[in-house]
Amino acid sequence: MTKRKSWFCLLLAALMLLSACSSSKNESAAPGSNENSSGESSSGLAPAKLKIVLYGDESSRMKELARTEFYDVIKKEINAEVEFQFLPYTEYGGGKTDLMLSTGEDFATYTDSNYTIKSVAKGLYTDLTPYMDALTDLKKHVDEASFRDFQLGGKQYAIPVGNKANSASFYSVLVRQDLLEEVGMTEITSLEELEKFYDEVHKIHPELVGYPGADARRILLYDYTDMNLYWQNEFIALDESAEDDQIISWFETEEFKDYANLMRGWYEKGIIPKYAATNVPQLQSDWNSGKGMFWSGTASRPFEGAASISKAVPDAKLVNYFLGTGRPKISRGSYNTAFFVSAGAKDPERYMMFFNMLQKNQELYDLFAYGIEGTDYTIDANDRLTRLTTDSLIPDWLLMNNSFMRFDTTVPDDIIESFKTWDEGSILSKGAGFNFDNTSVKNEETKLNGVLTEYMAPIGSGFSDYDTAYPKALERLKAAGIDKYIAEYQKQFSAWYAEQNKDK
Amino acid sequence: MPITENKGLLVFFYVIIALFSAVCLIPFILAVSGSLSTESRIAAEGYSFWPRGFTLETYQFLFGSKAKEIIQAYSVSVIVTVLGTVSAVLVTTAYAYVISVKSFRYRNVLSFFAYFTMLFSGGTLPWFLLSTKYYHLSDTLAGLFVPYLLSVFLMFLMTNYFRSIPHEIVESAQIDGAGHMRIFISIMLPLGRVGLVTISLFYALQFWNDFFLPLMLVSDQGLYTIQFLMYNMMANIQFLASGNAAQIGGIPVAPPLETAKMAMTCLTVLPIAILYPFLQRFFVKGIVVGSVKG
Repeated sequence: MTKRKSWFCLLLAALMLLSACSSSKNESAAPGSNENSSGESSSGLAPAKLKIVLYGDESSRMKELARTEFYDVIKKEINAEVEFQFLPYTEYGGGKTDLMLSTGEDFATYTDSNYTIKSVAKGLYTDLTPYMDALTDLKKHVDEASFRDFQLGGKQYAIPVGNKANSASFYSVLVRQDLLEEVGMTEITSLEELEKFYDEVHKIHPELVGYPGADARRILLYDYTDMNLYWQNEFIALDESAEDDQIISWFETEEFKDYANLMRGWYEKGIIPKYAATNVPQLQSDWNSGKGMFWSGTASRPFEGAASISKAVPDAKLVNYFLGTGRPKISRGSYNTAFFVSAGAKDPERYMMFFNMLQKNQELYDLFAYGIEGTDYTIDANDRLTRLTTDSLIPDWLLMNNSFMRFDTTVPDDIIESFKTWDEGSILSKGAGFNFDNTSVKNEETKLNGVLTEYMAPIGSGFSDYDTAYPKALERLKAAGIDKYIAEYQKQFSAWYAEQNKDK
Repeated sequence: MPITENKGLLVFFYVIIALFSAVCLIPFILAVSGSLSTESRIAAEGYSFWPRGFTLETYQFLFGSKAKEIIQAYSVSVIVTVLGTVSAVLVTTAYAYVISVKSFRYRNVLSFFAYFTMLFSGGTLPWFLLSTKYYHLSDTLAGLFVPYLLSVFLMFLMTNYFRSIPHEIVESAQIDGAGHMRIFISIMLPLGRVGLVTISLFYALQFWNDFFLPLMLVSDQGLYTIQFLMYNMMANIQFLASGNAAQIGGIPVAPPLETAKMAMTCLTVLPIAILYPFLQRFFVKGIVVGSVKG
């Protein structure tokens, strides 16, 4: 009796397993067959379902709008039902995003060039080149150069969104102007003045941190080199003042030594907090709670950052300064981010239409970024924005476009003015649009990243002394294969550079 | 030699234990005190054991702006913990009983199947495929506990309890005509009560603390558990503060304030912290009993 029962159970289990497997086969075949609905959609679009993944917290207002106004507008414009799915930021460029891509889910989300290269190599993104015509409006408002960053082998794998001043990001010092004025100074033009600013403020407010950060190589550029360096990644920089295709192995330069010594000085002086090496999240939180005197700046940080600091310090004012002059600002392109469509998507063209909507006109921009006028925001006579809710919708930073963006009533005119003229005289990096294919040096890259965290980053941030720590660090760097990595990068970059400058 | 009480040694152990519990307790005290402090004082002076500028503002803020989400997440957590624990205990004890029955010919095979999964797993990707494409567990309440219904370790623990019950009792029941179902329900379960409580506690803790299943299988906010709400918040802060954020374009999002983080932590830990002292004796007893084979 027992025997029969157990056999029966085993049989049942086997059956269940088999049935699960077989039904799945049919299902997984569906996305592969990819019936091309673009044909029927040319006239009178057929209904479609799209899933847009965004990262961060979903606010309750966003949830509400996604069901109501967003739904209606998107349905009306492109006859699609869009589901917004929010994932934690940790899942960006990996984690669940990877799983969703690998399992062939039908969705779109934003990406960066690194993640694009990795995923395209695995065949996880849809080639969007055939659908570029769907972007009629977006193309008008997004810089053409931005598209190049997401082209691989002549194919477009992601669509850049946004257009705003982006040059010289993190090259300026973002100074707490209120503190600067408190100690009787008006502006900062050099490293000496910056350090004087620290000393003076430290006397009055010993509880404040000087620079809540661990990386100031861009800010200090004027003090350790004559080159106009622009970093391609942690290991490789380009000298933008030279018109050649030479890449620079950053950690092997004399400049790195001088920079490390400057940072050591800061560290010993207490400008950089001692915990910066071990507690990185604390740094940002320090800055946001008004505990820092200066930070690395971007064009938009004076007004973006002020919003969070003003919670702790209501009269905080932030101003960007450069520690030197005479070097053109370098830009990687003016886009904010780029959207890709997963390889499992049934209707890539409809996704493209949705991206187009994000940068189509003022009306749609206002709706996606700010919500409903009167309920979520008001606009005064000067075209200034007052938000009536703190809930964020489709993230502001993602959409930001000079053609459409609005400024808050609290942002002073001079800051808006400096933001609008920020990119004047800036140049596009000579490496913009170059994408490194790391397949042949993947192992080296992994090892190098290990050496970076363990040895080079502490030296660069002044936590370890250059003279004592560097020889061993360099040895490790060599052992990890920096030479092979640099050679491969140089080879690919030279080939690409020659191709780019062929016509010139 | 008779065991004499060594007062010195005893004092020494107590000191060690006291120190150790202090080390465990300090972060918790800091979290509680942090959640009751004012933001500006925390920013300026850091944490302390006693709240700086005592205020309930943070909790008011949390419940004011997120009350709905928190209550919703709490109830999901409670439901998942209760449902999960009950079903997991049923599945686990049933499997354990089958393996413990000496007359069952395939018990070694079955126990090997279970044991095998302790050593080798298919990995996350196949697991994710199986859960979403075949079992359709995404965005369902079942998805929040079904994948954890059988913990092999606890199953073997339970098997050991069952084995420690004298076989004669089972035999006499069989002579009286009881079938396996009868033996399992009327004899094994009541006699293995200590074991049951122990594995229930382990399961309950696991379900309460889990954020992996909601992370993987849930996108509907209505199904967020309190731990996942917490994880989500922390993950976003960590990411924004790390260098990766710069890659996606210098996101100007202000991470939640320090005090809010702490208040959220307290809210998550609270039920466990309150219940644990009362249930703790079962843990100790359970593990000790389980270690003695019958």
